Amino acid sequence: MVSLRDFLPYLGRRIVGAVVVLVGVSLIVFFISHLLNPDPAHLWAGARASASTIAAVRAEYHLGQPWWTQLYYFFQSYFTGNFGTDPQTGKAIISEITFYFPNTLELVIATMILIVVFGVGLGYISGMRFGSAVDKVIRIFYLTCWSSPYYLGGIIAVLVFTSYIPLFPSGGIVSQTLAPINRITGIYVLDAAIDLNGAALVSGLYHLILPATVLALLEFGIIARIMRSSILDARWSTHVKAARAKGLEEGEVRRSHILRNALIDTNTMIAVTFGFLLSGTIVIEEIFAWPGVGYFTYQAIVSANYPVLIPCVLIFTLGVIVANFIADVFYSLLDPRIALGEGGVT
Amino acid sequence: MKPHQRRAVSRTAAGVIIIVVILVAAVGAYFVSMQTSGSSSTSSTSTTSTGGPARTSLQVDELNQPDTLDPAVSYETSGWEVIQQVYQGLVTYNGTSYTTYEGVLANSWTISPDGMNYTFMLRPNVSFSNGDPFNAYVMWYSIYRTMVMDQAPSWILTQNLAAGNGISFNVTASMLNSINYASPSQSNLTVMNNPDQSVVVLNASAIQINLGWGYNGMAPYSAFLATLETPTAYAVDPAYVSGLGGVVAGAPNNAMTTEALGTGFYKLQTWVLGQSVTLVRNPNYWANGLPSSQLNNAVSPAVLDTVVIYYKDAVTSIADLRSGAVQMIGVPVTYYNVTSPLAGVKTSVLPIVFGASEDVHYLYMDTQAFPLFNDLNVRKAIANGIDYQDIIRLVFSGHAQEWVGPVPPGFQYYNESTAGLNPYQYNPVEAAVSLANAGFVAHLPNGTTLNPGGKAFPAVEFLYDSENPTDGPTAEIISSNLGSIGIPVTLKSLPFREYSTLIDSPSSQNTTYAMGLGFYSEDYTASVDYVSYFTTGNYIGTGGYVDQKVINWTTAAATTMDGPTMISAFRNITQSMYQNYSEIWLYVPEMMAVQTTGLTGIFPNPAGSAMGYFLYYNTVRYSS
Repeated sequence: MVSLRDFLPYLGRRIVGAVVVLVGVSLIVFFISHLLNPDPAHLWAGARASASTIAAVRAEYHLGQPWWTQLYYFFQSYFTGNFGTDPQTGKAIISEITFYFPNTLELVIATMILIVVFGVGLGYISGMRFGSAVDKVIRIFYLTCWSSPYYLGGIIAVLVFTSYIPLFPSGGIVSQTLAPINRITGIYVLDAAIDLNGAALVSGLYHLILPATVLALLEFGIIARIMRSSILDARWSTHVKAARAKGLEEGEVRRSHILRNALIDTNTMIAVTFGFLLSGTIVIEEIFAWPGVGYFTYQAIVSANYPVLIPCVLIFTLGVIVANFIADVFYSLLDPRIALGEGGVT
Repeated sequence: MKPHQRRAVSRTAAGVIIIVVILVAAVGAYFVSMQTSGSSSTSSTSTTSTGGPARTSLQVDELNQPDTLDPAVSYETSGWEVIQQVYQGLVTYNGTSYTTYEGVLANSWTISPDGMNYTFMLRPNVSFSNGDPFNAYVMWYSIYRTMVMDQAPSWILTQNLAAGNGISFNVTASMLNSINYASPSQSNLTVMNNPDQSVVVLNASAIQINLGWGYNGMAPYSAFLATLETPTAYAVDPAYVSGLGGVVAGAPNNAMTTEALGTGFYKLQTWVLGQSVTLVRNPNYWANGLPSSQLNNAVSPAVLDTVVIYYKDAVTSIADLRSGAVQMIGVPVTYYNVTSPLAGVKTSVLPIVFGASEDVHYLYMDTQAFPLFNDLNVRKAIANGIDYQDIIRLVFSGHAQEWVGPVPPGFQYYNESTAGLNPYQYNPVEAAVSLANAGFVAHLPNGTTLNPGGKAFPAVEFLYDSENPTDGPTAEIISSNLGSIGIPVTLKSLPFREYSTLIDSPSSQNTTYAMGLGFYSEDYTASVDYVSYFTTGNYIGTGGYVDQKVINWTTAAATTMDGPTMISAFRNITQSMYQNYSEIWLYVPEMMAVQTTGLTGIFPNPAGSAMGYFLYYNTVRYSS
């Protein structure tokens, strides 16, 4: 474990590092998007926009000025707290993100729950039954799922479970025949629960099952694989042999010595997967008409809308940073030998 | 050991709880799905038993969500589709006709003999869904609002109208924001009654629209009523707009992007961005209770309580249709062989005018960006070098037809304009000869090289839309065809928004993409809309084509109310463009309607934005 005195400097270093990464990512996206389309005013103003409208867009976003001036205004928008205005909808970008991001978070959290259940569970069984038929079946299963591209898995799931065996809706976050609910957190099922709206909650969960399951099946393979190899390492380690030699119950050996140690490596991958999923839902959101930040980012990409694209990429980056940080904290919780800060995880 | 034991038990219990929760959720999902399919059949049953219209819901899958819901800003079919259910204008197309009109907010109208003045008598007792009144002052505001905001579609009005008369009168944003439209003051009335302007309020229930202040000049316009049918001239509630920030000159009202409030038969309930739009029946609709003698298809109250439009890809849409989750889908005709065998589904290929109103396709050659295209022999070589039938057969499975532009097939005067002209034909021998005559090395299909001492034709960058699934294969066939005669083509694609913005930009010598696939879809259903785009636009997507003779004929067609004069002008334009190969007219894809067999009450109209083939959801119902 770590004391607060060690933790605070560690946290400070991580925050400074995160800021450096975020600024770096912003610069990279800024320059790439400006190289691809140095003057997107016409694109943002829309087809057959009048010359005055295009000129107004160009002036508002300083597109006629040198890149360093544009960069200055761009970073200035960060400090206003709203990331500026979306040139295509005219809305504050922060308000758009606060609409889309909770939807993605809902999908990602549900997916992560399933990934942990599938990945840790099947990895554990596979590792404990090393070399058996069960082990082989599980390995084939997770490798097949893991190697399937999103669009293929998504479309197959839609065809099978919404068309041939119509168990689930093909898309959306909730049935639109229901009355809208109060938006509190933005996470629909959570809001429905807070609102004590049973129909909305059931509908929200019902719409969540298929995309979350598909995404989980396509991503749990890496967790299962890491879990399996960690179980194998732990099973054959000296301390496990020693525990058995001391006469500990087999169940206790498995729980406290094999599973707990195996979770140290797996935990890192779970955190990384969480960060990855935040940005990795674009295809699934498109297929399942899930109005998340992946969908929003895709729209920004195809319209060279970099005032929107950059904050979206920052969110993805921040997701990875936070996920890694949480993984490090869990590291220290799971393994007392690992310390945060000096000499430990940095 | 005890704490450990207790923890072990609680973990086991937690595991059991999780499994139980998952099982309950799965069983719940199953029952919800069963209830959903059950409710559809219940609706049908209730229709049979009562014999009356079933008040229920319609689910629709389409590809694209609206661009915006502001009638003054929306410029895409998907936006107009929703707007046309919520807002209303003075007139609309008469049922399935696209050349005659019927009143919506106008009871009747007269046109002066010279075609310059339109006087509209408005319906009484019309109100917005929030109860705010509609009157001539509101109509005055609505038309000027579009022009003062000056967004992309405003040109539809500003061809003929303007916010100012250029001399002594000018409507400004502050003027629009300050007038009391429910009970105007005398000074307000002085402004709105001023006779020297485009829209004059005659009294609270009559307005006069005067043509001639717009950029078309002091002339009538043959398709003026068609322009008034577009959302640009729909009534918006000044009080509602004021609450959302009012009118700002030259700028969109951002709050109006996702909000909507009109006089129409439906109200916007929600637009979940990226997912769906939900429309609910307007309980305060002004036409509720009107006698049938005062109703028409564009005015009748909605039969269905709810219309939900989901935005999904084609494969998912077909899956939804198959499962019964939706009753209508909008997918390209290339899916005809997939949807037509589905049980309980009616797939109809619509008359070609529907495909033409959706989009006509051609190949452009920008003469300003690539001077070699000025050579008639080069353009002729390209026209003869493309295997049109191969494109139609391979890319569209036969569901497209060749055409001669610029008047689109199925539109008024297409047959008269193209009489005696055949669509361009694939003739690789003639193509190679033309290329050789232009001084370039050319190849015959048998491998013989013509003009071997000539110059090699330089590579041309060929642009197409990467998001249009038929553009890529079409571009590849054209690239192969032209490459085989000696014109090397480098294919370049852009996402739709970037592509469409670029081809609608003014042509200049700096254009990167001197050649490419172009398309045009109507802004309003009138031949002259297409003709004007091709002949007066000077866009990259029309190859920078400018010919003063053709422009004069276009003006003649646009400003005459006389059929023979219009035919003569269209015919001259068509002949001239055809003989000059100004564009290479490629194909018009057919369009299909796909819906469950139980739906009725649809008035197909090529001007339609709903699924691309009808205008209004109000009359759609389930049959028994």
